[in-house]
Amino acid sequence: MLHFDSFPLFFRPALSIGNVGQLAVDLLVSSTGADRVGYLDDPYLLPCVGNDAYGPLPCGEIALPLEVYESPSTATTLAQQRSPVAKGMMIKFAENIADFAASGGKKHVIVLSSLDFQRLHHNLDMSRGPQVYYLSNAEANGRDEHCEMLGFGRLNEYDSEGRCWKYLSSVFDENCKEELTFPSEDELEDIDYYPSLPFAALFSAFKARGLKVTCLLCYCSEGDNIPDAFLLAEAASKLTGLTPDKFHGEEGGKWQIPYSWKSMYGAPPDMSMF
Amino acid sequence: MEDVLTENPPPSRFFQEDLNNFASPPPEPLPSPFIVFSNPKPELPLKPSLLIIALSSPSLHIFHSLPSKTLIGTLIIPELPFSGNTVEPSLQDKSCNIYSVSDNNNNNNNNNNAVLLVSVQLPVPPERSNLVSRLLVGQDIVPARVIILDSIQSRNFRGRLSPDEALAAKLETSSEKKAAATSRLSLDYFPSGSVIDGLSASLLSRCQLKNIRGTLVVSWPEFDPSVVRFLGALLKSIVPSLDIKSVDKDLEKYSSRTGLKRDAWLDSDLYT
Repeated sequence: MLHFDSFPLFFRPALSIGNVGQLAVDLLVSSTGADRVGYLDDPYLLPCVGNDAYGPLPCGEIALPLEVYESPSTATTLAQQRSPVAKGMMIKFAENIADFAASGGKKHVIVLSSLDFQRLHHNLDMSRGPQVYYLSNAEANGRDEHCEMLGFGRLNEYDSEGRCWKYLSSVFDENCKEELTFPSEDELEDIDYYPSLPFAALFSAFKARGLKVTCLLCYCSEGDNIPDAFLLAEAASKLTGLTPDKFHGEEGGKWQIPYSWKSMYGAPPDMSMF
Repeated sequence: MEDVLTENPPPSRFFQEDLNNFASPPPEPLPSPFIVFSNPKPELPLKPSLLIIALSSPSLHIFHSLPSKTLIGTLIIPELPFSGNTVEPSLQDKSCNIYSVSDNNNNNNNNNNAVLLVSVQLPVPPERSNLVSRLLVGQDIVPARVIILDSIQSRNFRGRLSPDEALAAKLETSSEKKAAATSRLSLDYFPSGSVIDGLSASLLSRCQLKNIRGTLVVSWPEFDPSVVRFLGALLKSIVPSLDIKSVDKDLEKYSSRTGLKRDAWLDSDLYT
């Protein structure tokens, strides 16, 4: 059993290319100084363990696949997920996470994730720098006035009547009487890329539980995804009004790089060969 | 040959199917793993004072060499065939045997307060690890303390691993960290930023969730006599009554046989 305060804001990653959502949550946990308050023991998550990810020194505190952190100074709860869900079990996993959020009194869930740059079919306007996209359940078409004012781009590829989006909505809706066929992975087309991603399952699950949910997304490729993590974390802080200077209340604050990022790209090259 | 400049880089952690909501789930639920005990009416759960689980080749070699151990059960994963296994336990078997080791401090000839050893000689799929770890920690067996012995997984390790340099590190549960320093293993912590996955991770997670003293010891290289000696000494320090003399006797044959051992595990389905 997990005991935690009913902070209304809940951040969590959706696994994606470049691990960007997870990196962004790492940054938020590290910077807000959030304390780990417990673990979520989900049977569909593949196992992994490691040493404490945040530091300032590796103290030997064991890290598990799905952990919950709280930051009283910012009244937020954050969940960090470190391993993937077993193949074919994402929908059940999303249901469990939505149950956790709803029973924990969460009011607004912010899902951080990324999209494959190679899937981008429209021209990307980079004149104002990297763009953050969003998907919200504030309006039926995914639009949210607050996100628009902040300059986030609406995810135009969201189509609530699309086959896969409709299936996701129906599978999480207890009251749905329409029986829709599970989309076979062999039948998926390019447009089905977006609803096939973990963020879409989480979005649909939270929406079905009556929670306000905003997905923040950015396009990226595999590589050095630290800048993408900063982009998402900064967008999340802008969305919620929790800028880094407020992370520690009156003491102020700033972005803190997690200790585990020091070895993200492996050991330095062996100089003895030169 | 692939062009490393133009080919897409491999994903950092995920395969595409890991990120697909519509990936097909298993066609039908598999039967759960279970333990068969030698005693047809065991008093469950067993409550050993110490449960040691061997997953790495060096630790399996040590367990196999130990005399005076009693086979008390075996864990069955229904979808994994054990064709080719011998009647007497063998290192080439695909099995997960559970042994009791005589403990000089235990005058009762039962498995409570005893030391139990588990030799995991079969490839437990990651998605089945949680079910297996629940059986071994917290369901049929409720140990007071757990030690898990595995190898460092180079694919998940962010530091440098040299084939000539042996090393070992640990991860502990919170309960273990709070225990008396003299009773804990004196090893460096596994570095932050690297992870361990699979059954050993699931076992240690289960210990953490159940508030059980647990230590995962990972060693490198995967097949090396020096690691065998090191682990033998480590186990002797934890269980002084363990007779590890015969481990050293077979050590000369160990390094010449390890290659055959790996191949035997990979190819055993072809020869039954």
